[in-house]
Amino acid sequence: MPIIVNLDVMMARRKMSLNELSDKVGLTLSNLSILKTGKAKAIRFSTLEAICEVLNCQPADILEFKKED
Amino acid sequence: MEIKITTRHILIALAVVAWIIFVGVCIEAGGFITNTIYTMVFNAEGARNFWQGNDLSQLYNFDRVYFLVETSIMSIVAIMRAIIFYLIIKMLQENKLNMAQPFNKDLVRLILNIAYLALGIGLFSSWGAKHAAWFVQQGIKMPDIEHLRLGGADVWLFMGVTLIVIAQIFKRGIEIQTENELTV
Repeated sequence: MPIIVNLDVMMARRKMSLNELSDKVGLTLSNLSILKTGKAKAIRFSTLEAICEVLNCQPADILEFKKED
Repeated sequence: MEIKITTRHILIALAVVAWIIFVGVCIEAGGFITNTIYTMVFNAEGARNFWQGNDLSQLYNFDRVYFLVETSIMSIVAIMRAIIFYLIIKMLQENKLNMAQPFNKDLVRLILNIAYLALGIGLFSSWGAKHAAWFVQQGIKMPDIEHLRLGGADVWLFMGVTLIVIAQIFKRGIEIQTENELTV
């Protein structure tokens, strides 16, 4: 998929664990894991908003578009 | 006391009905195959009272190969019908029908298998019925195609096509379900 989720990079920058983010965002650990591993097919704006709020970043910091060869 | 008929009750009743039909169709298929072998190998008189009083002696005397082809078509159709009911019983017995998540790959596979079998039954029935009509044209006295269990080819074909369409809708349903599950 050309959309890459850089959640793990942002979490590492903020020194935040998956558990901590899960607690603060209010998303289950399994759903957060689906998002982190890039298995997610779609993301709700509300989820994106909550993650950006907690990690203090922009959606572009989390999502990246890379053209497939 | 009020009796509540739930989906579970309906499924149990359907399983019982499917078992009864399955046994009946198996007996019929076995009867066709046994009678064909008996007539071809042991006693030509078997064609006179083929199955449930069907008289195929004139066809047997006309040509043994045509007799074999016609009875083989009847047997194949009966076997395919038995397989359909076997698949239904298997699904009901193995509890693959998950009512909490009815859109699953197993169910799509089952519907597609039944669809292909129904198409097969339709094609073979149509072929057998055309053969029987041709025999009649040759002056051979033949039982009705309903008695030969070759009737309703168009209905089977219609059922096959309808089930393929339903299977495709189910497939799309699974895709939507997967997308929903993977939306965070």
